[in-house]
Amino acid sequence: MKTKTLSSKKSDSLFSLLLDLPAFLLLAGFIVVPIIDSVVKSFQTFGIKNIITKKPGVWNDFANYLYLFKTDDFTGATLHTFSFVLGVVLVQFLLAILLALILNSNIKGARFMRSVMMTPWVVPTVISALIWMWLFQPQYGLLKYLVSVVTFGKVSEFAILNNPSTALLGVGVAALWKQIPLMTLLLLAGLQNVPQDISEAAMIDGAGKLRRFFSIILPYLSPVIKVSVSMSIIENFKQFPLFWTMTGGGPNNATTTLAVLSYREAFVSMNLGAGAAVTTLWMLMMIVVIFGYNKLFRVQEF
Amino acid sequence: MKKLLALLMVLLVAGSFLFAAGSSEKAATDKGVTIKVANYALLESGYEQFWKDVKTNFEAKYPTIKIEWVTAPYGEIVNQVVNMAGGGDMVDAIFGEIGWVPGLVDTGLAAPVRDILSPEFVNDFFPDVLKSFEVDGKAYGIPLYISPYVLYYNKDLFRQASLDPNKPPKTYTEMLTYAEKLSKLKDSNGNKVFAFGQTTASVPVSGSSINAMVFNFGGQVLDEQGKLSVDNQGFKDTISMLQLLDQKGYNPQNAKLKDLRSLFALGQLAMYYDQSWGFNGIQSINAKAKDFIASAEPLRGGLGSGESLLQAHAFILMDNGSARSTALAKFVEYVISEEVLSDYLRDITPAYPAKNSMASMESVANNGVLKGASPAAGRVRVQTFIPQISALNLELCSLAQAVTVGKQEVGSAIEKFKTSAVVKISQ
Repeated sequence: MKTKTLSSKKSDSLFSLLLDLPAFLLLAGFIVVPIIDSVVKSFQTFGIKNIITKKPGVWNDFANYLYLFKTDDFTGATLHTFSFVLGVVLVQFLLAILLALILNSNIKGARFMRSVMMTPWVVPTVISALIWMWLFQPQYGLLKYLVSVVTFGKVSEFAILNNPSTALLGVGVAALWKQIPLMTLLLLAGLQNVPQDISEAAMIDGAGKLRRFFSIILPYLSPVIKVSVSMSIIENFKQFPLFWTMTGGGPNNATTTLAVLSYREAFVSMNLGAGAAVTTLWMLMMIVVIFGYNKLFRVQEF
Repeated sequence: MKKLLALLMVLLVAGSFLFAAGSSEKAATDKGVTIKVANYALLESGYEQFWKDVKTNFEAKYPTIKIEWVTAPYGEIVNQVVNMAGGGDMVDAIFGEIGWVPGLVDTGLAAPVRDILSPEFVNDFFPDVLKSFEVDGKAYGIPLYISPYVLYYNKDLFRQASLDPNKPPKTYTEMLTYAEKLSKLKDSNGNKVFAFGQTTASVPVSGSSINAMVFNFGGQVLDEQGKLSVDNQGFKDTISMLQLLDQKGYNPQNAKLKDLRSLFALGQLAMYYDQSWGFNGIQSINAKAKDFIASAEPLRGGLGSGESLLQAHAFILMDNGSARSTALAKFVEYVISEEVLSDYLRDITPAYPAKNSMASMESVANNGVLKGASPAAGRVRVQTFIPQISALNLELCSLAQAVTVGKQEVGSAIEKFKTSAVVKISQ
């Protein structure tokens, strides 16, 4: 067996670095620099005019951040974002694991169901939003009709997206429809890697279905769960197209999330500084949530 | 050799990202000039053919000038223009609404129209109309046509409710009595018929429409200095009326103008406020709409005299140097002419001309759709321009939603609106 000399190892390392360099440069150019730029602009008076005239922004003594707390908008948006993420991720995980267990149980037509199930995932998000808007349509939507039938005509004007207390739920339903397939597929892949011999041994030892699920399947699935749930948290934390298409943040700001607020400040009010301030706080929150989630998961592993 | 190949591959892939950014074409060439016009209407079926014909005919008339359309949906076209300008590619004009002017002036994109168009052409416009496009004494937009918000109503539904189709309501009180009868109707499929439509969805144009309603009641939202000024009876009456309409189930909740147009076209809405060119959206859905549609003046409410907000479709111009500005001037002067707009205003978009020389156009004078609303053309008010007008309009929508779907009390909702709106317009 050949032993590599020190200079050969150095040369390899240098070559690897050289190969990585373009990726690092692209990462820096397209992700790191824009993030830093956005954070810097969040401390400046910076509007579209600055871009057009190529004039730099002016430091404004945290005015963008102070502005955000002068109204209820930011607090409301934060609350809506967290409620949405918590609700959707929780329900999504429960339904996805249930579906994955069903599809993993060798029921008839599982392969066909798996293919059909993926349809919502491949539909573009804006199209999903339009489909659900149509189903929720207050005058002739399917949901209105179903509610009317179920309540024997007592509720004849159900408009989920027009009611501030149900609008977030309406967008959540659309998000679940779109996102459950991917999580199910990931969990199903994980389930198929759970060793059958251990499960069978536990069964021989008298372990019931529930015991086997919690003591064998779930621990073996935990790496997949960790990845798929964190993906879902990120996806829903930054969810924008569903909200913008279905409700535009209304009614009465009931679905104004941090994504919607950031867009409104930056591109409707054309105040890029305030938009960047929302984005910066939003990014910090997302980092804290994912950090906390990873920490929690690590603790549970031990 | 392998290492060298790998390195080359990596550089190639990385390089492709950089070159993918592309390069912009020079708009002015030796052979002629290309001007870029941002126009959302090309994506709307009712307007598409008209604008295609404009390009074909203009380029035939001026062979050295080419038109390049920049398109995006209505709600995105301003961002498209701004993003392009940010990247160093500024369009020459954007076809849009009067309400877009202050924002585009604030960004530094819009140029004074007198810097680009000839004095003879600009001086032909009604001075009051041109004044409504002014920021600091200079007009930053040139209107193709104008209109107040008009009340469209369905004559067939009026007949079904035993109302005289030639006597639309003139006041909000009258409208409520009409609405009581109209709301009892069902369409041919058994669907509810809404009596009165006023848009309140979370989009700036809905806020602008609510503002017009405030003018109906003799109130105001901003004073002449652009300061928030809502401590007036007209404003309170408007918000109370929106609440009443919702409580009685007359107004479709959170509807966008396009939702109202759909409902109206399908015979599920008896009356509603719209810009006069909303007719095009109605006709796109129901080609027979001309048989039942009629227009009326904006309603009078409270102490108001039924004034409304001036609306206009306009070109907002941008300065890209003398060659393109000269070509742009020719394009604008070509479009805003009786020759081009006559059929358009008769068949596609009923509206009023903004120029003296077009005032007596046959297609406008005899326009059946606009006939009922014609007296209102003299009762328009101009909203004071502030750069944050879109943000303010969204706040107005939130207020309307608070007292309707939010079930909040009018007084407290207005107080909350004031706090929020003052912060938004102070930015």
